[in-house]
This record gives sequence, C-alpha cells and structure tokens, in this order.
Amino acid sequence: MFLHNLFYELKSSLRAKELIIWLMIFPIILGTFFKIAFGDLYDKQTKMDTIKTAVVGIENDPNFRTVIEQIEQEDEPLLKAEYLDEEKALEKLANGDVTGVIYAGDDMSLTVSDTGIEQSVLRVFIQQYSTKAGIIKETLASDPSKLGEVTKALMADASPNHAEPLTKGNTDFYIEYMYNLIAMVAMYGSITGLHIAVGNQANLSPLGARKCCSPTPKALSTLAGIIGSWLVQAVCMVICVSFTAFVLKTDYGKNLPYVYLAAILGGITGVSMGFFVGSIGRMKNSMKVAICMTGSMLCCFLSGLMMGNIKGWIAMKFPVFNNLNPAALVADSISSLNLYTGHERYFTKLMYMCGISAVFITLGLILTRRRKYADL
Amino acid sequence: MANSVVKIDNIVKRYGELLALDHFSLDIKEGEVFGLLGPNGSGKTTTINCLLSLLAYDKGDIEIFGKKMTPVSYDIKKKIGIIMQNVAVFDELTVYENIDYFCGLYINDKKLRKQYVEDAINFVGLGDFRKFYPKKLSGGLLRRLNIACGIAHKPKLIILDEPTVAVDPQSRNKILEGIESLNRDGATIIYTSHYMEEVEQLCTRIAIMDKGKKIAEGSKDELKRMIKNTETVTVEVLGLTQSMLDELSALPHVYDVKYDGQKAVISCSGGKHNLIRILDTLQKKEVSFGRVYSELPTLNDVFLEITGKALRDKED
Repeated sequence: MFLHNLFYELKSSLRAKELIIWLMIFPIILGTFFKIAFGDLYDKQTKMDTIKTAVVGIENDPNFRTVIEQIEQEDEPLLKAEYLDEEKALEKLANGDVTGVIYAGDDMSLTVSDTGIEQSVLRVFIQQYSTKAGIIKETLASDPSKLGEVTKALMADASPNHAEPLTKGNTDFYIEYMYNLIAMVAMYGSITGLHIAVGNQANLSPLGARKCCSPTPKALSTLAGIIGSWLVQAVCMVICVSFTAFVLKTDYGKNLPYVYLAAILGGITGVSMGFFVGSIGRMKNSMKVAICMTGSMLCCFLSGLMMGNIKGWIAMKFPVFNNLNPAALVADSISSLNLYTGHERYFTKLMYMCGISAVFITLGLILTRRRKYADL
Repeated sequence: MANSVVKIDNIVKRYGELLALDHFSLDIKEGEVFGLLGPNGSGKTTTINCLLSLLAYDKGDIEIFGKKMTPVSYDIKKKIGIIMQNVAVFDELTVYENIDYFCGLYINDKKLRKQYVEDAINFVGLGDFRKFYPKKLSGGLLRRLNIACGIAHKPKLIILDEPTVAVDPQSRNKILEGIESLNRDGATIIYTSHYMEEVEQLCTRIAIMDKGKKIAEGSKDELKRMIKNTETVTVEVLGLTQSMLDELSALPHVYDVKYDGQKAVISCSGGKHNLIRILDTLQKKEVSFGRVYSELPTLNDVFLEITGKALRDKED
C-alpha cells in the first residue's frame, strides 16, 4: 500500500508542469542569467590582462630578453613583448597596439602614450629590473664570489609583511549567487510539500476527501506523499547543482559531493516547510501557494539572492535569523565549504536544516491528524 | 427480510446556527437502490459525508454493515465505493493510472487489481481513452472516469453523490445503465440527486429531503399514493368562460382547475376515466380544443404537495 502510494506520488509529481517549470526550467534560466551577467565581472575587476609591450634595442641587454622570456612562459604572464626597431615600436604605440615601449640598455627607459594601471605596472617593472640588474653588475665587478648569495637575496621577498589569503577557496563573489540559486530551488520545494498537505485533507480538496474514504490510513498516504516529494525534490536539486557545476562551470573545488548533500537536505527542508504551510487552516489553495512563494522568495531575499550583502548585514544585526532562515542555511552551508578549510560550520548548518525540517513535519502531522471535520 | 446495510439513527448536524441535518434517520437494506432526493442544500451531501465519517455530527449514530462507522473503520471502508459530487482524480495520471491508483487503495494484489481496473474501464466504456489525461476528457467522460475510480474495487455498497451533474444525455444514460448493472451484480446503491427522473428510473426506495429533514420515504408508488393528485389533465383551449370552468370543477374527482387563457390544467384525485369525462363536457358545450394530455403524478408533485414548492427550478 505504501509503495503503491509512493509510486503514484512520484509519477504524478514528475509530470506536474508547474514543478518542472519552477524547479527545473526557471533555475536553469536564472542561473544562465547570473552567468551572463556576473560570470566574468570578477575577472574584469580583479585580474589584469597580459600587457603588450614593444622592446627596442634588446641587443644592448641580452639578460633582459632572458627575463622577458621567462615571464612569458608563466600561466598568466605579466607582459608579452615584441622586439622591434624604434620606428615600428612608436608606430605600434601610436596605434594602441602596445601599451608601452621599453628601451633596453644601461639607461633603461619607458615611453607610453597614456596613463593607467598597465603603464604604471610597466614602469615599476623596469625600475625593479634596473635596480636588480645594477646590483648584480656591481657585485660581479666588486666580488663575484658573492654573486650566488646576492641573487638569492634578490629573489627572496624583502618585505616584512607576508600576504596570507583568508581562504584557499574561490573568492569570486558571483559564486555566492549560485549558492543562493540553489537555496531558491530548495525553497521552491515548498510547493510540492504544500500539495501533499492539501491533497490528503478532506476539508481542503476533493482528492483529499476521496482518499479519506479509502481504507488506506491517512498517515500512510501522507507519509508516502512526503517521502515522494523529498525524492522528487532531491532529483531537482541534483539537476540544479549539476547544471551549475558542469554547464555553468561554477567552481566547487573538491566539495561537489558536499554541495549535493547540502542541496538535497535544503530541498527536504523546503518540502517540509510547504507541508507545514499546507496544513495550517482552511485557506484557499491559491492563497497557500501565494504564501509559500512569498515566504520562499523572502527567505531567498534575506539570504542574498537579490542583494548580495544583506546576509552579512543580518549576520551583524540579527545573527540568530540566519540560522532560522532555510535559504540562508543552504547558501551558508555551501559557502562554508568554499571559505573554510574544516567542515565544522558546514555540518552545523546541516544540523539546523534537519532540526527545522523535523519541526515543520511534526507540526504539519499534528495539524493534519484530525480524523473528522466540522465542515467540508 | 434483507439485512440492513446502512442504518442512520437520529443524526443531527449543525453548521453554526444552521441546522443541516435535523434528526435524520434511514435504514437501507441489502440489494436496494436507495435514492436521496431533494433540492440543492437539502442535506443530501451532508448526509453522505456524515455516513462516510468525513464530517463530525452533533448527535446520533451511524452503522454500516452492522458496525459503528468511524474514520478508522478500515474493514468497512474496504466494502464501500464512493463517487463524489466533485470529480476527484489526478490531472497528471492517465485514465488507466487513475483507476489503478484508487483501486490500489483497496486491493493489494497486483494481478487481481489489473483485472479489476480492466473491468472498470470496460464497465464505463473508457476503453479508447485509457491513455488519456483527465484534461483531455469531456465532462461526461470525466464523470465516467470518476465512477470507474469509485467502483473498480467491486464494493458491496456504492454511494453516488449527484454523479450526473453537467453530464451529456449519452453519458447520463451510460451512467444510469451502469448503476442498474452494479445493483444486478449485488451491490447496494445509495444515489443522491435532485433529478427526479433519474431517481424514479433507478431507485427501489426513495427518501425525500428538505431543509435537513426527511419529509417522505417509500417506493415511488408509495410516495405518489401519499398525495391527493393522481392525474393531471391538460387541455389546450381558447376562450373558456367562467361558467365552463365551474362546470369542469364540478366534475367528479376534479379538485382543482387552473386556466391561463390558453390551456386548462385540471387536477384529479382518484377515480377512473377522468380524461373522457372532461373531454365529453367540453364537446357537449361545443368548445373546440387542441392538444390534450394526461400525466400521472411525479415525485415533483409529491414534493410540491408536501412542501408547497417545486423540487427544482425550471431551468434545471
């Protein structure tokens, strides 16, 4: 009997158009939009392109060519040089084909036609090169035996301050939108949970009344519905995470299995929330759907789906709220995988999700346990 | 004497101030087709919902198959088939799947269930539509699907709550024939409707309800015998004088004459050859008349005479 109910619950849910639209198609469209809108914003703001440079008189300083060639072999080289005579180099500079013209030799100089970050970088680069080359030459002239020691010292970082990144994870803020997108899909699970509550109560739907007339216990049919919805929601979450990971190329590092787990648990929380809302009172179905959708979107808004910094603001002002907001819990749990080396925070968030789901399901079952109705 | 299948004893159901069922009692015997007839809002569906233990009631007792009916009387529920007024099917499941789903709530054995589902599909004539989704079905076919979902598990007691509302004549006939067939196969039927023709055609015993009360009960002949009217003669005739109307009123067994200038409606109580006597009187006075027809009393006449109002509106 239970498996029969579960089988048809899965079948009807997977064929429900609104479920396919809201839980599969809409997130794919929104995720693609995020990718198009924000995908390369971080790169544009934080990363510098290779600087195209013309070098004149390289024959005067063969060591400089060696240095340039080493730089060019790096993954993201600082500059790309062309070795030209002065006339062609200046022509390219005038045409904007190169950012600057470096005159190699003892009196190294730089000619630029504009001011900006790239020009400043070139200036700092030739200053550092000139300084270090001068020291090496002076060492060779005065005491060649100390050349190795001097070179080693020059290679070392002279600064007493050492930059240590806060995280080894992806610091691209765009990725936060993807976490919130996953949270949003999890919250939309509330619609399927809502239908379970409505579809099993005689005073809320003809289908519920019809089921209540059958010899199948209400608890069994409700439980089959809830588990069916959890499974369907889990499939939707897997599709959503897979789409962001493999199609939109969101970098989850080595944490993808944990992301799946958090997303599925988030989906279960969403379904449970919907079941609870569906169990309250005798409002029209459309009203309950509206409450679920509004509640879901509010949770997503407060977790940063529309305004990236709102979650941080809430964390400062009402720190407890982020542990009660299911959407924030989903986004935070995935975010913690990226930002923290350990999994303590991740599992704490998962525990909160389990707790909230248990509360919603228990309250929902209590509210729907009534066996006879005063009015139909 | 046949066993009682349903026994409703003195049920009282209130919706706030409104008394929906007022000390209502019924005793339905095995093998009967029992009709609950009454206008909209008379308490038919409330009776059914109380009977099924969906609705809480304020007073009284309900027994089905000799046992007290409660929401957890699963052994009783197994024997009941319910066809509700509102179609209750899954939009996302096909005709076959819907019937299989509801049948599966009663029958665990897959093989047996498959046979039962096929029987139900053939019974309601939806063989060509088994892979259709409900939204693709007409109103009549949808009602038939609703019935198939309710009777697929071969119940001993079948409750049909206004199953022919908004159904085309072809589907209505199919449904009524099906109900008669189910009864021939041994099922006890409870049929609620405000269509008196259906109730007259189908039911072996009828209870007429109004304002939550049972106002009459019996076979259709017993009910008709309860009232004064036994025959109504209608004559299309122009220009009847008051003296002529008085003469008609004075005929034996005639107790009421109404005339609107175009037709005379003459109500008779008992007696034989009323029609012949009326026509003889008109011919003797050389009154020419058009169409003449004689009607035996209907359940509507019964309802009209008992309550002073028509059973249903003319537009119905």
